[in-house]
Amino acid sequence: MTGLSNMTERKNLWPWLLLTPLAVFLVVFFVVPLIDVAVMSFTEPRLTFANYERALTGTLYQKVFINTFLTAGFVTLCCLLVGYPLAYLMSVSSQRTAMLILLLVTMSFWTSFLVRTYAWMVLLGTNGPLVWLFQAVGITNPPQLLFTRFSSTLAMVHILAPYMIMNIYSVMRKIDPVLVRSAESLGARGGSLLRHVYLPLTAPGIANGCVLVFVICLGFYVTPVLLGSPREQMIAGLIGTQLDEFLAFGMGSALAMVLLVFTMVILTIYHRHFGLDKLWG
Amino acid sequence: MTRFMKWLGVVVVIFIAAPLVIVVPMSFSTARSLQFPPPGYGLGYYQAYFSDPSWLIPTWNSIIIATATTVLTMLLVVPATFALVRHQFRGRSIADLMMLMPLAVPSIVMAVGYYSYFGAMGIVHTHIGVVLAHTALAVPIAFLVLSANLKGFDRTLERAAMSLGASPTKTFIHVTLPILRPGLIISALFAFIHSFDETVVSIFISGRNAETLPRKMFDSIRQEADPVIAVISTLLFALVLLGLVGPRLVAALRNRRPRVQAA
Repeated sequence: MTGLSNMTERKNLWPWLLLTPLAVFLVVFFVVPLIDVAVMSFTEPRLTFANYERALTGTLYQKVFINTFLTAGFVTLCCLLVGYPLAYLMSVSSQRTAMLILLLVTMSFWTSFLVRTYAWMVLLGTNGPLVWLFQAVGITNPPQLLFTRFSSTLAMVHILAPYMIMNIYSVMRKIDPVLVRSAESLGARGGSLLRHVYLPLTAPGIANGCVLVFVICLGFYVTPVLLGSPREQMIAGLIGTQLDEFLAFGMGSALAMVLLVFTMVILTIYHRHFGLDKLWG
Repeated sequence: MTRFMKWLGVVVVIFIAAPLVIVVPMSFSTARSLQFPPPGYGLGYYQAYFSDPSWLIPTWNSIIIATATTVLTMLLVVPATFALVRHQFRGRSIADLMMLMPLAVPSIVMAVGYYSYFGAMGIVHTHIGVVLAHTALAVPIAFLVLSANLKGFDRTLERAAMSLGASPTKTFIHVTLPILRPGLIISALFAFIHSFDETVVSIFISGRNAETLPRKMFDSIRQEADPVIAVISTLLFALVLLGLVGPRLVAALRNRRPRVQAA
């Protein structure tokens, strides 16, 4: 009897033994730095709520928050508008074509954010191909493309679209073609086919893609900083400036906490409905 | 409508491909600065990259840091994944969720934390600091890949080995590990790539001493847009292509061999 209870006890100890090194590591090198941010937001430069007061009521900060949300929403919408037709094209193409497109999308996905941001810089630059194309068509005075809201939005859509495409394609290719054909035989055409067959069946993929793109975009640092207009910053860029230029750890931390809370609220809602492990899986 | 969607899809293909394609010819340009179309083609930028320590040192730093990150991540994640997938215990679902948290927190938030925390510990701007931060961030990715593999693992194989007299250790080494190898390799590869590509945290904590390639690229793009970046982009791009097509090519060649012998 005692032997048996000993064994079950040992069995129960095993998982904890295996888990402890990682748990300790994550506490020391993930949780504590995060708590440090929370603490700094109240204590830098001294014990105060002033950082949050400024972060939430200052006109500059409010403008940046609103700009960030609008940009993230717009980028998500664009990714959907770009991703859906491509996923559709893949699902109706021959297997070979679908594979090639998928290869292209995966290639883009695995190419670093920096490389893709740089590529847009090359494409839109003053001596770049697009300006050259403008001049070839006869537009001698092309508009400024680089370092505007346009260039950063375009690049963000390009960088985040693969997330959307892969999510939608993964559900779209599971749609039974018989279902589509029977809908067509019952008279569903074009728009109604899309609305009544495709959209409902791909809704989970759309939800996944949108949440993922929106959340990544909210905290996007690299592309808006490199390609955007300095006058239209997003939150992450503003946090960076607080650290880099002003060494204002308190203000930077308060902004970081606000960004963290927004992100967590969205992810919590997602988790309630779908389970967070599905988002990246 | 459906035909319209198809054409839109074709346009999107061009949109996705264009930026990836344009960088390659630019890297072979002979122009002083970026210019399209290139006035001539040569290997000047490549020579510049491979002879400039200010590019080679960050490249080397990134390789070292990513390797160390991969080793550390796997040492921590492999046992933990076994615990989380194979054992039932109280608090497991919370532990599962905690493993994903580093992926959920925006990098810039962690950058603020590491900057101050590692500063207090005296390891900001060191290789060790970057490795520790990258490991924390790579944990969820390695875990997701490995746990998916482990969940699909057929445990009757282990039971069969043990019923034939193999000890648990022997079973683990001769049955479990070989079957799990592809999952382990991919998981490690993902951890490596994650560290090698990681930009935001590196920008703030790697400093001059442990400067990573993405940090150097970021600074360079921000300041002068050195055309050498086109070279690095092309090289990275080639690596990705190799990584995606390579295994398939090897498999195709392997499949062909017996057929050739038969003929």
